[in-house]
Amino acid sequence: MKKSLLMISMMLVFAIILAGCATTRDLEKVQAEGQQTSAKAEQALKEAQQAKAAAEEATIKAADAAIRAENAAKMAEERAQAAEERANAAEEKAKKADALFERSMKK
Amino acid sequence: MCRNISLLVISHKLRFVFLLIFIASLHGCAVMKNIPWQYWSSPLYPAEKIERNHFSVTGGTDVVGRLAVLKLAQGDTLPDVARHFSLGVHEISIANPGVDVWVPRASERIILPLSFILPDVQRKGIVINLAAMRLFHFKEDGSKTVRVSTYPIGIGSEEQPTPKGLMHVSRKMVRPTWHVPRQVAQDRRKKGDILPEKVLPGPLNPLGEHAIYLESSYLIHGTNKPASIGLRATNGCIRLYPEDVKRLYADTPVKTPVRVINQPYLVGRRNGWVYLEVHATSEDSDTAGLEKMYAKLRRIETQSTRPLDWKKVKTVLTEARGIPVPVFKIHEGSEPRDMELIEVSHPGELYGKPKVPEMKIAAWYILSADEREEIDALRIAAMINHQGPQIPARVSFRNQRYLVIAGPFYDSHEAREALKRLKIDLEMEGILIEPQ
Repeated sequence: MKKSLLMISMMLVFAIILAGCATTRDLEKVQAEGQQTSAKAEQALKEAQQAKAAAEEATIKAADAAIRAENAAKMAEERAQAAEERANAAEEKAKKADALFERSMKK
Repeated sequence: MCRNISLLVISHKLRFVFLLIFIASLHGCAVMKNIPWQYWSSPLYPAEKIERNHFSVTGGTDVVGRLAVLKLAQGDTLPDVARHFSLGVHEISIANPGVDVWVPRASERIILPLSFILPDVQRKGIVINLAAMRLFHFKEDGSKTVRVSTYPIGIGSEEQPTPKGLMHVSRKMVRPTWHVPRQVAQDRRKKGDILPEKVLPGPLNPLGEHAIYLESSYLIHGTNKPASIGLRATNGCIRLYPEDVKRLYADTPVKTPVRVINQPYLVGRRNGWVYLEVHATSEDSDTAGLEKMYAKLRRIETQSTRPLDWKKVKTVLTEARGIPVPVFKIHEGSEPRDMELIEVSHPGELYGKPKVPEMKIAAWYILSADEREEIDALRIAAMINHQGPQIPARVSFRNQRYLVIAGPFYDSHEAREALKRLKIDLEMEGILIEPQ
C-alpha cells in the first residue's frame, strides 16, 4: 500500500516535473513571443509616428502650397489688373490724343 | 536606331510646323474678325482699278460700289489709306473697329468700305448725307441711267453743325480768299493766335484751291488739312480732299441744287437683294428714321418670297459700321456676288501721304514729346505729320526713351512758327533745338 502510494507520488512528482518543464518552454516561448510582439508594437508605433510626422509634414506642405497658390493667384490677379489699368490708360491717352487731333483740324 | 532618331526629329519638326500653322491661323482669325464676310475672290485686284468715286445707277438699284480688303504695309496710317482710296477717316475707322488709326499693325488686313447705299431722296444735283459724311453728285444723261459721283467730306462740329435743307450753288471760285469769320478769330485769339482779317490763297488758307459758294453763307471747299476729311471739324462748311473738290468744282454748274440731309439708316436694293447700312449719329437718336427703316424692311419682306434675317438687322443696327450688309436670310452658297470681297494689292506709295525729309545738321528742330512707349511716340509723330500744312516729325530712340522730333526747319522763324502751332493746335510744349 505504502509502496503503491509512493509510486503514485513519484509518478505525480514526475508528472509535475514533466509538466513543469513544459511550462518553462512555454514560458520561454511566450516570453519570445512577447518580445516579438513588443518589437512589432514598437515598430508599429515608430511607423505610426513616422506616418503621423509625414502626414503633419504633408499638411504643412499642402497648407504652404495653398498659401503659395493663393499668393500666385493674387499676384496674377494684381498683374492682370495692372495690365488692364495700363491698357485703359493707353486707351485713354490715345482717345485724348485723338480728341486733340480733331480739335487741331479746325480752322 | 538612326531611322528612329530621324523619325523622331521629323515628328518634332512636324509638331513645330503644326504649332506654327495653328498660331498663324489663330492670328488670322484675330485679324479677320473685322471682316464680316467669309467669301473672297482671288487673285489680288490692282489698287488703281477699284472704283472709288464714279458709278452708274439704273432704276431699282440703290447700292453702288463694292467692298475691298487691303493688307497694310509698315508705316501706313488709316488717314493715309483713307485718302488714297477716297474715303473719310471716320468711314475707314468705323468699318475696322479695333484697328489703331495712327499705328496699325503691318500686314493687318482692313476693309475699304467702297460700297454705298444711295440716300433716300430725289436723285438730282448734290446730296450731302451728314450721317454718312458723304457727298453724292447726281447727273442725268438723258437715258434711264443716272451717273453718280460720291466723295467723303468733313462737316460742321457739334457746336457749329452743318445746317440741313435745300440750297443752291450761287458762285464758284478758284484760289479763294478766306475771310476769317468773327467767331473763328475770337476762338483763335483766346488761344493766343491772332488771325488776320483775310487769308490769301496759299498753304495757310483753309479753303484750299477751290470753293463752291452756296446761297447761305456756307461753302463746299477744299482744305489744307486733308486728314480732317471724315471728321466733324468745320464751322458748318463742307470740306473735301483737294483732288476731290477739283473734280466736283469742274462738274458743278452754278444753280445746282444742294440738299443737306441726315439719314443714318439706309435701306437699298441691288440685283434682288436687300441691304442695310447704318451710321452712328452724334445727333439725337433719329427715332423717326429708325421707324421708317423698319417699316420699309417689313414692306419689302411682305412683297418678297424670301424672309428677312431680323437677327442680322439688329446686329447691323448695333454695330453701325457704315457698310451695306445683305439682310435676306442667306443659305450657304447663296450669298450675293456683288458683296464678294476683293483683295486689292497695296499701291506701294499712298497718295498724299506726308513725307518726312532727311535730318540735316545745319537745321532747327523741336523736341515735341518724350515717351516711354514707342506706340505713343509713333502716334504723336503721325499726328504732327498730318497737321495742315504738314509739320514733319519722326521718332528717335535715345536712352531708353522715344523722342518725337519735329523738323528739319531751315531757319529760326520757321521753327518758332511750328513751335507755336504745336502749342496752339496740339497743346504741346516743344523745346527748340538750335543747329550745331
